[in-house]
Amino acid sequence: MRRIILVLSLVACGKGGGDKAAGGARDAVIDAWKAEKLTVSALTPATVAFGKDCQGGTVEGIDVLLCNFATPAEAKAAAEQGYTWVGSATGTSEVHGAALVVLADRRKVDPSGRTINRLMKLAPK
Amino acid sequence: MGMRRRALAVFTVLTLTLLGVFAAPAIAGGGKQVRYVGIHPIPKPEGGGICYIEGPHVHIYDADKIQYRDHRGANYFVGDPVAYGYDGKRYAYKGHHPIHVNVVVGDNDPDDEYCYISGPHYHYFAPPEGPEFKVVGDAYFYVGEPPRAYIDARPAMMKINAVYQPLVYERPVVTVDAPVGWIGARAEFVGPGAGVVVDAPRAGVIVAPPAAGVTVEAHVPAPSIHVDVGIGVPGVIVHERAPAVIVRERPVIIEERVKVKHDNGWHRGRH
Repeated sequence: MRRIILVLSLVACGKGGGDKAAGGARDAVIDAWKAEKLTVSALTPATVAFGKDCQGGTVEGIDVLLCNFATPAEAKAAAEQGYTWVGSATGTSEVHGAALVVLADRRKVDPSGRTINRLMKLAPK
Repeated sequence: MGMRRRALAVFTVLTLTLLGVFAAPAIAGGGKQVRYVGIHPIPKPEGGGICYIEGPHVHIYDADKIQYRDHRGANYFVGDPVAYGYDGKRYAYKGHHPIHVNVVVGDNDPDDEYCYISGPHYHYFAPPEGPEFKVVGDAYFYVGEPPRAYIDARPAMMKINAVYQPLVYERPVVTVDAPVGWIGARAEFVGPGAGVVVDAPRAGVIVAPPAAGVTVEAHVPAPSIHVDVGIGVPGVIVHERAPAVIVRERPVIIEERVKVKHDNGWHRGRH
């Protein structure tokens, strides 16, 4: 019985750690933005062709797409396709750890690009 | 009356059509994304000013071929951002110099491009530490060995000086002796059609192009150069003191009126 509990505990811990690792890259980015008192909207699941675990929302009025990948290499492989999500706006698609961060200024709230630049600089590598 | 109204309507439509054509912003074909990397000016039809995004990014407008270089498919701005309103940290340079783009943008793709702005100017980055630049009077002077690529591209890229000459902005003021080996005073890198000609020793040369917005005064007691730059007063004046090398600026693109004052042998002593 003890052995079963121990195994279940390990599985649970392992799973929890895995989830944290998976959510970690995206969460780290969001936490970094929130730590600077930036306005981050609620993020909702987003469906895109280049990522399975993506969420979208806005930060300081700029559209953001945050996708988690298993590894930084996978995120890097998807970075180019991130520009398809940017569309006809000023935007960028960068890899930060195992997360792909895609920003698009569709409402033209950041004509100088200072906010986009700040967001990308704040996002942990 | 009906004819007049019809003519007026046609005139209005034509006018609006033409305005639509010529007032349209520099949008890349069909809203196509154009890649950029690093800080760069924003075209006036797109609002003007500076785009401060330092990393790779996209816009829907094109870049010109004189102020930008290709860096792995992205447009990298090699001009002076202060001329367009850049208000961030800046570094003063004098004359032509290489730009190690990969160092500036922070990627691993080695890419050396060249800035062909002849006078004092700014960039938003300092060059990497090393022997190819010397800092004198808070300005960077290139004293390295430029490769063939720099020389080959020079006639075409010198056009950038025609872009900056009419721009009125706060250029750096450089009042120092140029270091030995500065590219701006080396004859071996000056070929036919290039922007600078170095003549044999002569005295009393005054070069005064009808430049707008900036005055460059260069005193050339060999082997040093003294450069003063001001705003709002046109002209470039190069004073020579024998036995000095005369640096006569002669941009290819910018039309200049060259006045040469001889001293009738005074510099050699009167006989």
